[in-house]
Amino acid sequence: MSINKIDPNKWVDKYSDYLFNFTIVRVNDRELANDLISETFLAGLKSMKNFKGEATERTWLISILKRKIIDHYRKSNSKKGRAEIKIQYSDDSNEGDWLEENAPDVLDKTAEDVMENEELGMAILDCMQQLTDKQAKIFKMKTIDGFDTEAICNEFNITPSNLWVIIHRARMTLAQCLEKNWF
Amino acid sequence: MSNKKTLLIDCSEATFCCDKAQYKEASVSEKLKMLLHLIYCKKCKKYVKNNTKLTKLIEQSDIKTCTEEEKKAWKEKIEQEITNQ
Repeated sequence: MSINKIDPNKWVDKYSDYLFNFTIVRVNDRELANDLISETFLAGLKSMKNFKGEATERTWLISILKRKIIDHYRKSNSKKGRAEIKIQYSDDSNEGDWLEENAPDVLDKTAEDVMENEELGMAILDCMQQLTDKQAKIFKMKTIDGFDTEAICNEFNITPSNLWVIIHRARMTLAQCLEKNWF
Repeated sequence: MSNKKTLLIDCSEATFCCDKAQYKEASVSEKLKMLLHLIYCKKCKKYVKNNTKLTKLIEQSDIKTCTEEEKKAWKEKIEQEITNQ
């Protein structure tokens, strides 16, 4: 078995989307998720010498991140008596609505659905590791961020037919990778 | 090529239409030609089925991406920490 190596300069490009999706479903706050990922990267740098190369770099980073998330909840639990329910009115039109209307519809999405979707999301991101960096970047921009073909072509200085070839290859790889467990 | 004149398209064109259709960028005539091709091509039929499923799964998963600014901020932090070490 080959020993996994560590290269912090590539962490962000390679793993940030994966780490971010893992975190956001657990803390449900973008800013906090960002902070936890920063802490994870820094903790990773500090303990790099302990990395034995038995796990992959990503698994190792996830294990650090898990600890950071648990620490966060420990800290927020210890602030006893400060728990309160906050209702955030995102815009004026919501103001004055009944509490019930602000509560999520339990029939709409069950906890199991949420869990399955998370698992699915991680599986997709996992499969994306099989794409080249450029394929992954372009595929995400087009499919997840919904950028125009033209905008992506301009950014990467490619023709639309180049773009569609890249998208096609990426989709083939992903479909093949997901086929066994999800199709 | 003369694909504008004929209704019959080959597999590479059919899969191309299918890819575009996943992003709602295929025209009506392209979609019609693709459907016609699918009547007699099993291989492409499977491709379309899997490709459509992939689109659904990605929608369902609700994956998010980090913004370029977020990535830049992390990169700077990492670089800074490396130079400090």
